Amino acid sequence: MLPHLIAIGWGVLGLAVCSLAADLPGNLAIDPTAAIKTQVPRVVPNSGRLQWKPHSRDLTEWPSLGYQDKRPTPKPQVTRLEGPSNGDVARGLGIAMDPARGNCVACHQLPGDAWPGTVGNPLLHYRRYGHQDAQVYQQIFDARVFNPNSVMPAYGTFGILSDQDVRDLVAFLQSLD
Amino acid sequence: MIRIAGFPLVWGASTLLGLALVQPPALSAEPAPYREMERPLETYIPHASGDRKFSNTYRYWKDPKNLDWRLAGNPDENWKLNWKFMDPPFNQAIHGGHFALDRGESLYKFLNRGGSFAACLGAGKGGLKGLRTSYPRYDKTLKRVVGLEEKIQICGAIEGRVLENGSYDNSAISLYIAGFSKGMPMRIDVSKGPLKEAFERGRRLYHTRAGRMNFACATCHIHNVGKHLRGNTVTTPFGDVVHFPVYRTKYELQSLQLRFMECNLDTGTQPLLPGSPAYTDLEVFLSALSNGYAVTVPSERD
Ligand code: HEC
Ligand code: HEC
Repeated sequence: MLPHLIAIGWGVLGLAVCSLAADLPGNLAIDPTAAIKTQVPRVVPNSGRLQWKPHSRDLTEWPSLGYQDKRPTPKPQVTRLEGPSNGDVARGLGIAMDPARGNCVACHQLPGDAWPGTVGNPLLHYRRYGHQDAQVYQQIFDARVFNPNSVMPAYGTFGILSDQDVRDLVAFLQSLD
Repeated sequence: MIRIAGFPLVWGASTLLGLALVQPPALSAEPAPYREMERPLETYIPHASGDRKFSNTYRYWKDPKNLDWRLAGNPDENWKLNWKFMDPPFNQAIHGGHFALDRGESLYKFLNRGGSFAACLGAGKGGLKGLRTSYPRYDKTLKRVVGLEEKIQICGAIEGRVLENGSYDNSAISLYIAGFSKGMPMRIDVSKGPLKEAFERGRRLYHTRAGRMNFACATCHIHNVGKHLRGNTVTTPFGDVVHFPVYRTKYELQSLQLRFMECNLDTGTQPLLPGSPAYTDLEVFLSALSNGYAVTVPSERD
């Protein structure tokens, strides 16, 4: 069931990416011909022009604040994880700590981090909550299903993490005693 | 090369295209796309003192002459001073903002040798005095609201000079102009007409979620004020605008709209080009939240 859902999600994104170059809304700071379209401005002293260089990541597939951007925000997605996550604890830990992937530690307290974020609740002894894997999976995949105003990124729905990544995170959290 | 709305744009080579870049928001009949909002969408008093009902740090920073320096020394309290233009290590006498000011002066004097540049910028009898405090304003010729830096780009083009919005030279001129309003309070009137409409759009936009993380400006700047995000502490959005363009080590000279781009990039949201209507509306919104607060330039922050 689940991989299927994700496959649909990616299918849609994939399509969008194909038609993007032609269809991207106006006013975006992009170079549509570049591999990474998102461009970062550089201010050059004593010059009347900005210089542009590619950002570390292409951000064009998600909606911007532009008025011409008519692409909808991905809606909350319900998932149905059946059975245990079968994830890899060590991999999950890596994803949680990596600023370029989960970056969970930016908001949550996790073991072994001296400067934890305080925006989300501490996850230090997560297993003790006794939540089902399916619920934890949903929280990471798309927390908006539980709380429409959640500030936690919808890692699955927005394509930030894969099905396997989320499974690994579930396994990791459930290992925290 | 940056491409806008499908047209390859060679800056300077085509001033006309440059001017065509910014269109008012399309009044199309298309339904608005699905977006999520950061709530509550407050009313906001369009004055720096509106912060009293918000972070209530206004009492610490409303009077720059009587700052409580004890707060400055304390990392947990520093943010309450809202004194972002004096991030430590601050040295009033030497920072990049002063070089920019010199550059701005010579560029301005050159461009205005016939007097038409100042007139184009909307300088009245008082010259540049107070000009900064009344931007963004409604432009009768363009029939829309413009920020000062966008107007500098447009007027520069008329004088035959490329001054891209956000570029060093553009911001340097903006800084020079702001210098004539030093100590004067911001005063844009968002109570009626096109500026009120822009303020309302900006207010909504400030609360609209976007990007890879689905964050709105308000996610941090309204809901996490005083909290730590890595090494940064988020401060109140009231009273920000008066110290822009600001000297930043990483950006040399950063206009307000380049700061919007930076925050967009930091949160995985595709940034817009400086001068785009959405950014101008955000600028109107934030400028109104600085009403009554004195222009402070040249300034520096890390
Ligand atoms: C931007 C902040 C933010 C980030 C980043 C973030 N979270 Fe959260 N998280 C929250 C908040 C806030 C909550 C509280 C519930 C809600 O609003 O959804 C939460 C709740 C949770 C919960 C439920 C806690 C409970 O009591 O059962 C789990 C599990 C969780 N997060 C895991 C993660 C993982 C794993 C990651 C990284 C892949 C992550 N979070 C990244 C903000 C964040
Ligand atoms: C994830 C958090 C986050 C989001 C989302 C965010 N910002 Fe920021 N912003 C910061 C931090 C941190 C700072 C630096 C601390 C400060 O000045 O308050 C900052 C600084 C600023 C400043 C400079 C303040 C000054 O006076 O120097 C402006 C202006 C600003 N942000 C505007 C915006 C706008 C507009 C948006 C939305 C398009 C936005 N920010 C979204 C975190 C964020």
